[in-house]
Amino acid sequence: MLVAGHLYPDLLNLYGDRGNLIAFARRCSWRRIPVGVREIPLGEPVDFRELDFLFVGGGSDREQGILAEDLIRRRDNLEAAVEDGLVVLAICGGYQVLGHYYQLAEDKVVPGLRLLDFYTRAGARRLIGNCAVELELDGLPVRVAGFENHSGQTFLGQVQPLGRVLAGYGNNGADGLEGARYRNVFCSYLHGPLLPKNPRLTDHLISLALRRRGLDPFLSPLDDRLEEQARTAVLNRLKVR
Amino acid sequence: MNGRLLIAICGAKWAARCSQLLGRPGSSLPGKVALTLYPGTLKQLAARAQRGVILVTGTNGKTTTNNMLARILREAGYRVVCNREGANLITGVTTAFVREIGPRGRLRFDYAVLEVDEAAFPVVAAQVNPQAVVVTNFFRDQLDRYGELDTTVALIREALKRLPRVRLVINADDPLVAQFGLLGPRTAHFGLAPHTRVVEGGRHTREARFCPQCGTTLQYSFYHYSQLGLFRCAGCGFRRPEPDVEALQARYQGEGVSCLIRRGDEQYRLEMQTQGFYNLYNALAAFTAGTLLGLDPGRVIESLETYEPAVGRLERFRYRDKPVFLNLVKNPAGFNEGLNLLPANPGTKDVFIAINDNVADGRDVSWLWDVDFEMLEAVREKVPRFVCGGLRAEDMAVRLKYAGVDPKKIAVQPNLKAAVSATLDGPGEAAYFFATYTALWPVERILRPRLTPEGRADHAGRGSSVS
Ligand SMILES: [Zn+2]
Repeated sequence: MLVAGHLYPDLLNLYGDRGNLIAFARRCSWRRIPVGVREIPLGEPVDFRELDFLFVGGGSDREQGILAEDLIRRRDNLEAAVEDGLVVLAICGGYQVLGHYYQLAEDKVVPGLRLLDFYTRAGARRLIGNCAVELELDGLPVRVAGFENHSGQTFLGQVQPLGRVLAGYGNNGADGLEGARYRNVFCSYLHGPLLPKNPRLTDHLISLALRRRGLDPFLSPLDDRLEEQARTAVLNRLKVR
Repeated sequence: MNGRLLIAICGAKWAARCSQLLGRPGSSLPGKVALTLYPGTLKQLAARAQRGVILVTGTNGKTTTNNMLARILREAGYRVVCNREGANLITGVTTAFVREIGPRGRLRFDYAVLEVDEAAFPVVAAQVNPQAVVVTNFFRDQLDRYGELDTTVALIREALKRLPRVRLVINADDPLVAQFGLLGPRTAHFGLAPHTRVVEGGRHTREARFCPQCGTTLQYSFYHYSQLGLFRCAGCGFRRPEPDVEALQARYQGEGVSCLIRRGDEQYRLEMQTQGFYNLYNALAAFTAGTLLGLDPGRVIESLETYEPAVGRLERFRYRDKPVFLNLVKNPAGFNEGLNLLPANPGTKDVFIAINDNVADGRDVSWLWDVDFEMLEAVREKVPRFVCGGLRAEDMAVRLKYAGVDPKKIAVQPNLKAAVSATLDGPGEAAYFFATYTALWPVERILRPRLTPEGRADHAGRGSSVS
């Protein structure tokens, strides 16, 4: 049985975030892989190492402050789980909080968890729009489509990007990089939500979770015509082929 | 009349004539021209109200509430200026006045009743000096246009602080709205009595889990939908205010909704012909505002009972023997309300959903994942097919698939004409059309020639089911 954790479902649930968990869970159960979704509200004790998949979404500015406090108390446990190979998907605000800090203004810095080597600072304008990114999964190029809406601009240090921007802004609108990736942690600014329309990425996360548990990571193919249509509709509109 | 105002009005009238000749509705251009020629136009025209200006704002229900209130006032014999649906920015509001100006610059009216976009509220309120402000609710809507909900609420709060003499008519059940009652002005609250089940689904779309005053998590002893309910803050004591006007014993009756309205010690029976429990909130808001302005409650009830919805506000038609419903959807809370109509009515139904992502719809369609489509499980046997149309038809189809709808029942048909036909001619005993803002009018244009609208004559046998 795989356990998918939804961190702060009460707080971080902007932009249809829970769609990522729905996609993860549905694609497991369509293959008869038993899966359960566990909601982890503020302050509830949890050992992240026991989870198979952790989703961290974005919240409003007010909510980011509330959750940062709670997360900092859980930091060491989360770090241990990440080093143990926990599969994590962190989107937008959930992405930003994993880095060193988020500089909101000259004199206002929200500290991060320092799990990944990057920092974020507030940009002059919001980066909004459809977005296409090319990433590499098991050595093969995969094009994912989503929607981004963030005012934070993220700059990577010694950490891999999730992928290369084909159309849209990505991390900061300047260096052509999108998201970040470390061990089994996947960070991105793309919501939409990201996983339902990009089943190859979803399946990759499921395989990684199975492998970590010593289970067979092979996934039987599904009929993904609707998902493919939705993904290519965005790519076509962005004139990405 | 001062010279600049005269020039502005001439320019606006000319612009209205041009857009008419071009076959456009022209609901914002005349106002835009007038304000460009003379920025004081709106202020000057609004000041001519014999009795006052009432503004209606909030996320959902402002068009319906505004139309209801305008109808109540007109039927009470007042002359009313009212803006057209959706023309709710400063330009559209200005157009509403310009349209009423007669040939010699005559403009006589008692009330102006204006729906105002949340983001435009501060600037409009500063110009028109409203006598009363109605606030319906706050839900997440078109995030990429407004930034975040908090910002919108803060904008309106600051604007209200600059109107110390205004009368407020606000929703007691919505903590984000009810907090305005603490600002100081005289306030009338409306709400639904607890134990009124409004919507089953939608538990995932609560907006305000935290006290808007102190940030503590709110506690609910009863919960209608989204963040609406009987809330209380353990941190600072902020709680749902006791409503001045409250709906009791609300329930579906025939194809409408009925309830008792308690106002002080008096009670009135209301039987509305519009479907959807959420229309009760709109009716309560209009009732509260109308009686606050001194109208007779019994007359107000009569006006509400004969109210007919505007285009796309759960408009009812008939196609051959089949009832057809057209419903605008623009955010999760509203969509959940619409979906809850499906299990509320017996019989099978074809469902059409058109999702566009133009600026007026919100460019980001991720909100579809905050809609509780999972509740469709309850009507699994009753919906033979879902037709998805619009610019984001494919995203809608994926959403339905992951909500558990059998992919074989999902049809993607970006061509609206074909999609509308497929739905009308489907096997269901009724047809439900849901469309986002910019998809609504095209769908309506295709639908209307094929349908017979349900006129008031059809409502003659109220109480019994309309067949
Ligand atoms: Zn409080």
